[in-house]
Amino acid sequence: MALGSIGRRNRQFVAPRLHITAMMDMFTIILIFLLFSFSDNPETFQLDKDISLPESTAKMDYKDSIKLVLSQTSLKLNGEVIAEIQDGKIIGLNPAELKKSSLYERLKAYRDQMADFEGDEQSESEKHILFLCDKRISFKTINNIVKTAGMAGYPNFQFAVLKKVTDS
Amino acid sequence: MSRIGRRRLKASDDVDVDMVPIMNMFLVLIPFLLMSASFFQMKAINTSVPVQAENTSAGSSAEKAPKDIKVTVIVQIGREGFDISAISDYLEYEDLSKLEAKIGKVNKDEYPLAQMAAYLQKIKEIYPSSDTIIIIPDGSVVYETIIEAMDMARYSGRGDTPLFPNVVLSGKVG
Repeated sequence: MALGSIGRRNRQFVAPRLHITAMMDMFTIILIFLLFSFSDNPETFQLDKDISLPESTAKMDYKDSIKLVLSQTSLKLNGEVIAEIQDGKIIGLNPAELKKSSLYERLKAYRDQMADFEGDEQSESEKHILFLCDKRISFKTINNIVKTAGMAGYPNFQFAVLKKVTDS
Repeated sequence: MSRIGRRRLKASDDVDVDMVPIMNMFLVLIPFLLMSASFFQMKAINTSVPVQAENTSAGSSAEKAPKDIKVTVIVQIGREGFDISAISDYLEYEDLSKLEAKIGKVNKDEYPLAQMAAYLQKIKEIYPSSDTIIIIPDGSVVYETIIEAMDMARYSGRGDTPLFPNVVLSGKVG
């Protein structure tokens, strides 16, 4: 009889059970890996696409400070474009008159502002600039920026680099 | 089998930990961590630019043994290669001129970093107290080469023993 065969078929049907143990294992491993990589970096920030940092064996972590980003097209101070770069030349930065540049004025203003805010809490050696520079830029361009920063009261730098992957 | 025994057996078969909430939590956590994770590791090299120093009185080599004498090594990175020299308040010109060296490029594009590191190692062995190096690149030298030279000068590219950990970057004067 037709009804009887349907009844038999229903009885044979077993609801499929998803085995999620393997998936749980995978998720746990991914989670642990991501948690470790998350805690490793105290602070992360977005790197511009047109900047390619050099690789280095340096092991020191960078500190939160003023960020000066020099790419092949622009110079940014704390995320704000302060000068354009054309053919390796910084527009508006005359090597003979570095103190008249907007970079000098802004760094000087920033330093005065920080001095009012922090008083003598920070020693001179702790006042530094985190310098992110494209690896293809020539020293002629870098030198003007480094000199300007030194004149504005920031002679100490942290050159940002990517950690070199070693074979060992 | 008694009725109680059968019921107990059935109950033990049905026990199953509900993983759905944990899976939900994982599915929220993983995208969040993926978004905030950075897959490149950024590090930093401490550098400074020359500043006007206070006048210090010069000593003489007679007062100190070589192991206590500090020399400041100067590495000029030119188009042709490296030009190494040294300055010190405690050494005479003759002693300092012995430390001078020119290391030319191996080929057109490759700087002889290993040779430079070996030479710096020699200076460090003679004057182990020395810890400062001044790097003076030519205007045409790219940033990547400067960083490579700094790496070699600081740790000679191997191990954790510092060579000249204090790096000063300067432009050519004159």
